[in-house]
Amino acid sequence: MNEPTLGRFYLRALGLGALGAVVVIYLALIGMIDRFEARNIINGVLTLGVLAPALGVLIFAYRSTQPPKAWSFVPPAGHVIGAGLLAGGVAGLISAAFLFVNEAVALNAVLVNATPRMTDALTLGAGLPTGAALLVGAGLVVGLGAAALRLVPDRFRRPLVAALVAVLLLSLMEPFLRVVLLQLELPAIAHWLYEAGGLTLQGAIVTFIVVLAVRLAAEFRGNAVRERVDAMPAGQRRSLQIGALVAGLVILVLLPQIIGSFLSEVVGTVGLYVLMGLGLNIVVGYAGLLDLGYVAFFAIGAYATAILTSPVSALGSELAFWVAIPIVMLIAAVSGLIIGAPVLRLRGDYLAIVTLGIGEIVRILLLSDALRPWTGGAQGILQIPPPQLLDIEFFRPQNLYYPILAFAIAGTFVALSLANSRVGRAWNAMREDEDVAAATGINVTNYKLLAFSLGAVFGCIAGAFLAVKLGSIFPHNLNILVSITVLSLIILGGMGSIPGVIVGAFVLVGLPELLREFAEYRLLIYGAVLVMMMLWRPEGLIPSAQRRRELHESEDDEEQWDERVGAGTPPPVVEGT
Amino acid sequence: MRLRLPERLSLVDVILWGLRVGVVVFVVTGSFATLSQGLLGFDSWRSLVIVGLAQGAIYALIALGYTLVYGVLFMINFAHGEVFMAGTFTAFFAATALADAGILNANPFFGLAVILLVSMVTSMIVAVLLERIAYRPLRRAPRLVPLITAIGASLFLQYTVRSIYGSGVRSYPRIDILVGTWDIFGIPIQKTQAVVIVAAVLLMIGLYIFVQRTRTGRAMRAVSEDKDVAAMMGINVDRVIATTFAIGGLLAGAAGILYVFLFNVVSFSMGFLAGIKAFTAAVLGGIGNIVGAMLGGLFLGLLESVGPFLFLSGFGVPSTNQLRDVVAFTLLVLVLIFRPYGILGRKE
Repeated sequence: MNEPTLGRFYLRALGLGALGAVVVIYLALIGMIDRFEARNIINGVLTLGVLAPALGVLIFAYRSTQPPKAWSFVPPAGHVIGAGLLAGGVAGLISAAFLFVNEAVALNAVLVNATPRMTDALTLGAGLPTGAALLVGAGLVVGLGAAALRLVPDRFRRPLVAALVAVLLLSLMEPFLRVVLLQLELPAIAHWLYEAGGLTLQGAIVTFIVVLAVRLAAEFRGNAVRERVDAMPAGQRRSLQIGALVAGLVILVLLPQIIGSFLSEVVGTVGLYVLMGLGLNIVVGYAGLLDLGYVAFFAIGAYATAILTSPVSALGSELAFWVAIPIVMLIAAVSGLIIGAPVLRLRGDYLAIVTLGIGEIVRILLLSDALRPWTGGAQGILQIPPPQLLDIEFFRPQNLYYPILAFAIAGTFVALSLANSRVGRAWNAMREDEDVAAATGINVTNYKLLAFSLGAVFGCIAGAFLAVKLGSIFPHNLNILVSITVLSLIILGGMGSIPGVIVGAFVLVGLPELLREFAEYRLLIYGAVLVMMMLWRPEGLIPSAQRRRELHESEDDEEQWDERVGAGTPPPVVEGT
Repeated sequence: MRLRLPERLSLVDVILWGLRVGVVVFVVTGSFATLSQGLLGFDSWRSLVIVGLAQGAIYALIALGYTLVYGVLFMINFAHGEVFMAGTFTAFFAATALADAGILNANPFFGLAVILLVSMVTSMIVAVLLERIAYRPLRRAPRLVPLITAIGASLFLQYTVRSIYGSGVRSYPRIDILVGTWDIFGIPIQKTQAVVIVAAVLLMIGLYIFVQRTRTGRAMRAVSEDKDVAAMMGINVDRVIATTFAIGGLLAGAAGILYVFLFNVVSFSMGFLAGIKAFTAAVLGGIGNIVGAMLGGLFLGLLESVGPFLFLSGFGVPSTNQLRDVVAFTLLVLVLIFRPYGILGRKE
């Protein structure tokens, strides 16, 4: 081991520590630390306001403990700890320095969150001279933790991280799980596990130990459950799958009775986004057409429903919801054709911008005075009646949940069967290489139009449910951000992956509704999700097998995207999609 | 002579032709109806044209950022509107500080120079960081990947600024020397509009000379032609790309201050519309083409200012001014559908 490498190793740790401080200061300046103080993770021990910056520093400190592969230098344990401590300490030191600067020059005139409250939040109320020492100390502790995590062997580290993540998730699910436990008449468990919006200490410890034990057992003895399922004869495995499916359905059907009105409303909203996600997934994930104007179909569905059913609309037809739905679906398919036809010959990135423009045109037209007689301008359309079936009026969120669920399940089924059909294979071929697909006899234009129209139908159904859910419809909630939300949830879950859509909708739409602290930063987080997923995991959290292959195929000849930064030695640009 | 139809007329062709004919008929009858009704006098039309040109000059400056980046990377830097916004919003604080100290109106040239510098430098830093953090690692990814990243970065920057600077709309302080009108060849023109047009044109000429005559400009053109060969010729491709982003940022920052001269207000969401319109201008002129971006910007500004009234009020459409953005977006859609290589560009 030569000295210069060691020096560089520590220098790198210094730089990464500074980056950690940048994260802490950023979180403080956008006011996140202050707001997250209100959310307990473990009551009396840890709040999200402490955890968020600590995690930011932890990630950089953890990276600092291992030099890049190219250095061919493996630091001994002592230096790993040294680097972790240095990175964490530097992060704490710079953050503390920032607080002193802020007190001296009153940055508040420019930066709205640079208030004494921010200092309090960052120093846990200790005030400045003491708080600075606290920050440095905390940085050192986090750095030590990062080094420890690095020094633990792999087979212990994975269960350890899993257990910590489990505690975090269980805590963040508090608004949901506590209600469920209480409704199930299990107040004892609810009180034992949750307290003041977070986990209790004993709840956290037990969760940690249980998950750790299970995962450790899995690491050392192999995953017994999975092995037994794999060993089953095909027929038995099939019946097991069907059993699991039925159990899942029963839970979904009973859910609104268990979780009450507010949570049913939230789940209903998630359901709308699942529907839209499934639709956009056909367009983006299957056919590879990046549609940024998806909100146009959502709007068309909502307004078509409103005009057809509301007694105050210009049309005055006052159709029942169930009669209107097929008409709306027809309008959707036709509008998908009309909007799709002219744009489908465009190249991928231009298609995205054109659809974005169309989405905006639809919104501005809905807002304008020119169309006021039909759409009501900014006042929108009111008095949209709820759907009725026999005697049941689907007015309460608990009831409206069922038709949304039915359509979401039907949509999932349609999307799944499409993916495995001739059509789905044609889309795949088209996405991978349009020219080759055309040469093998696939009518590319028709298949693109089909994808666009199907996506439009999904979006319009979601729009119809939005209309009856709100009972009134305004152009204001139909902007580009809806398109971006749907795109984000697809990207998070994984393009072309249906479980990904569902998980993405729950995380990106459901979670901010439950955790008020997140609601403020919803769009900021969507932006960060889009960037980070593209940089680090473009295939999504739950990737479809095919997509993963596509996105990583070019990595066989090169090492990794981030390794390919080195000064311009580019082979020809890879042009997918 | 027999009219020759294509062998198979597909549904898409029919729709496209319908769209073409529809747009032309709509524009011609609309303009004719408006003009024959004589709804506006000559002076009003002239002032609409000047407003449009001033607005268009700003679009052109922002459009140059899109075009430069597209020229070297073949990617749409969707977050460029936010680069423009970040500089303008940051310079607001410099402007208020200078105004509070009385410097802005006592020594206006110095004050404006400082504001301009703050705006340009901030935008440049944001643009360069954006490239380094978000785009550089993705340089070899499939085309849609950097675009999605750019959309994410745009959202991230917008809401970061919202959280850091606050969500309200802020008004720049009054700059006394820019209030009033000048008579140029007997035509009264607001001082702000004149300054905007002249400054934008000067900046564009400067950029043109920079790209055509300097060493760095030549390197940029080489990278745009072929990155591999440029690298083999000893050009540091990464540095050239970073420089390109920096220049785009500088121009966007300058455009921001000119924007403030015209509209006076800044907010975290101002970059989105301005960005989309500038992109329209860039595509209109042929993306990657510097002169094209300038002409595209001016044309878009003009059309947006004159268009809604000219095309629509003849049909008796109320409050046409609300539909300004529709005109711009429609132009965007039509250009991309029918002439994606732009007015000055050649078919690929």
